[in-house]
Amino acid sequence: MIKLMEKFQKREWFSSKSNMNEKNTKHILSIMVDNEPGVLARVVGLFSGRGYNIESLSVSEVDSHKFLSRITIVTSGTKLIVDQIKAQLGKLIPVHNLVDISELNSFIGKELILIKLNVKDVVKFELKEKLKKFGAEILLESNSEFIVQYAGTPEEITKLVKLLKNTKIIEQTRSGLVSMATGTDYIKK
Amino acid sequence: MKKITGAKIVIESLIQENVKVIFGYPGGAVLPIYDELFKQKKIRHILVRHEQAAVHAAEGYARSTGKVGVVLVTSGPGATNTVTGLTDAMMDSVPVVCLSGQVPTHMIGNDAFQEADIVGITRPCTKHNYLVKDVTKLAGAIHSAFFIAKNGRPGPVLVDIPKDIQTFKTRYEGKKLTKKISYYKPTFEPLKDEVDKVVEFLSNCKKPIFYIGGGVINSGIKASKELLELMKKTGFPCTQTLMGLGAFPMSDKQFLGMLGMHGTYEANMAMYNCDLMICVGARFDDRITGKVSGFSPNSKKIHFDIDASSFNKSVNVDLTVKGDLFRILKLINEKISKKNLLFKKSKYIEWWKQIEKWRSRNCLKYKQSKKVIKPQYALQRLNELTKKLNPFITTEVGQHQMWAAQFIEFNKPKHWMTSGGLGTMGYGLPAALGVQIAHPKDLVIDVAGEASILMNIQEMSTIKQYRLPVKVFILNNNYMGMVRQWQELLHGNRLSESYMESLPDFVKLAESFGATGLRVEKPDEVDDLIKEMIKIKGAVICDIVVDPTENCFPMIPSGSTHNQMLLGPNDKVDGEISEEGMVLV
Repeated sequence: MIKLMEKFQKREWFSSKSNMNEKNTKHILSIMVDNEPGVLARVVGLFSGRGYNIESLSVSEVDSHKFLSRITIVTSGTKLIVDQIKAQLGKLIPVHNLVDISELNSFIGKELILIKLNVKDVVKFELKEKLKKFGAEILLESNSEFIVQYAGTPEEITKLVKLLKNTKIIEQTRSGLVSMATGTDYIKK
Repeated sequence: MKKITGAKIVIESLIQENVKVIFGYPGGAVLPIYDELFKQKKIRHILVRHEQAAVHAAEGYARSTGKVGVVLVTSGPGATNTVTGLTDAMMDSVPVVCLSGQVPTHMIGNDAFQEADIVGITRPCTKHNYLVKDVTKLAGAIHSAFFIAKNGRPGPVLVDIPKDIQTFKTRYEGKKLTKKISYYKPTFEPLKDEVDKVVEFLSNCKKPIFYIGGGVINSGIKASKELLELMKKTGFPCTQTLMGLGAFPMSDKQFLGMLGMHGTYEANMAMYNCDLMICVGARFDDRITGKVSGFSPNSKKIHFDIDASSFNKSVNVDLTVKGDLFRILKLINEKISKKNLLFKKSKYIEWWKQIEKWRSRNCLKYKQSKKVIKPQYALQRLNELTKKLNPFITTEVGQHQMWAAQFIEFNKPKHWMTSGGLGTMGYGLPAALGVQIAHPKDLVIDVAGEASILMNIQEMSTIKQYRLPVKVFILNNNYMGMVRQWQELLHGNRLSESYMESLPDFVKLAESFGATGLRVEKPDEVDDLIKEMIKIKGAVICDIVVDPTENCFPMIPSGSTHNQMLLGPNDKVDGEISEEGMVLV
């Protein structure tokens, strides 16, 4: 756990992705919203309507008693723009709480990827070994295909895809980042 | 408790919200509600002639009273027609609740007759909206709509009510909000240490200016009083935005005139050269700032606002104070009294000298003519002759609007209704109608252009129906004046489509709606026309034929800064307007 936390200290995580414009930084916004029709449209519409950037988005219900959903949005912009995004989101009525996770001292950010590989002309045990070493799991295995699951940071996922560059990837799908800060007291309601 | 229909619940909820008047237009999907309206006497319904006008009328009603304006329209086209009005209310922070009918719940999404996804359409142009799919949640949605519309930064809220919900029955349990918005608590109370810092800033400046916006008016008459006290305590100069006119008395010496694109020379120069800018409920709009990179380059800036998203949106400020302006101003006044702070005149004498120098340029002067009526002259006379009656003025959008802002003096808040943010042509007449409904005995004047007035001219019929003594003051220059002015300045005087052909005879038009029509063409007839207009008890349309070539000055060309103003027709833009400026509106 401690190792993980170190890995996701924000500086390290962000400095590796240097942007062309120095002032543009990446932010992970975690938003607690009422799980009601149209709430995602309100959030996404705000981004498109005002010309803000969405790099990834994931959303699902997290509290079925209080009907709460949690949205994680990765966005980027200058400090002025990101502050504006946060202020605008804060004005939406169904938004309960909003945390800029990337501004906290330590947090975890993970993404899930599913990859379907064409394994017809591949030495299967070598590939299996490779995947096992990386920590990826094979969910489905047949003569012609593997479906591989892996959860990790966006960088690790890119590494995995690179590792498989000599194998035929039929298709892949990614969940978008989900993120959580460490500590016991920060996202309420 | 007896179960009542959804339609009855709508009426009950409105009564509970103390609604006296609604502006609306019936149609298939709201018939049950209109049926309930028919059976009661507590709420007066004003039948407009177009749904856009219903929203503008509600805006006029809201802005002149401080109450929430209420609109009732049918589904589909009825609802889509409100979009311009709702956007207008959104931009100018006007509390409006719009109730729209919708096709029955089981038909939603089926492309039914007169179906429109109005909740989807109005999502970006309302503060919030509801589609009520369960009759037990109807009352909560309506009460929440009122709560949201008037709390925090005001704005429009739409409640979409399917027809079957209007007929289903449930119990009405009084004024309760939906559970879900219980956490919507806009902050009203500013932080103490921020207020302390403001006072520190105030006592450490030499060239201050207050930059006052419509937020003061939204905060209420109490905020205007606190502002006046602060202004008198400090003796600082102030300027007001288009939305803020009247928040501080315009006849006061400390007022330098409106600022911005068509603001006065002294106001804009003071903004450019100040060392402390105190923004009170304004939002650094692009009409105000001009080129942002050259906006008041050497000043510290303080910003008071109830809406955190207004802070640092286009201009970076040094100190922000979030809260209700009345509370903020009150705490500052208290702090100043407690500390016995004195703002010695000698400290600001140089600054005032400089300001008087700018003021002496007399930037609003124009060449008077004996042959043609100058629009500025007509408005100057209107101001002089109606001042004592303390009239409510609404405007359309364009040159006449800017001249009205420059030449009519407002010494009280809530007397000036104009479409600032959205710039909606056709706003003035329906807004005037709404104001007149709220203030039946007062003088209400719509200062209009001949182009704008035609955009909602059908409301003359509403005015006729309710015998409203609205006065329409048309400055007729036969052009979309502001469009022509820009074409002249920026597009080589190629007057593409800006000439108003085939105008109606406004006198006959007035008469056909049972109103009086007056027309003048000579400057020496203007006074008589205005006196006659005031005397007439019913509605009047004044057709004032003005100089078609007159332009609105001063003007900051787009992409320029406050110290690069054009003061008159002989001032030319230095060289061509930059490409950067050309693309700006």
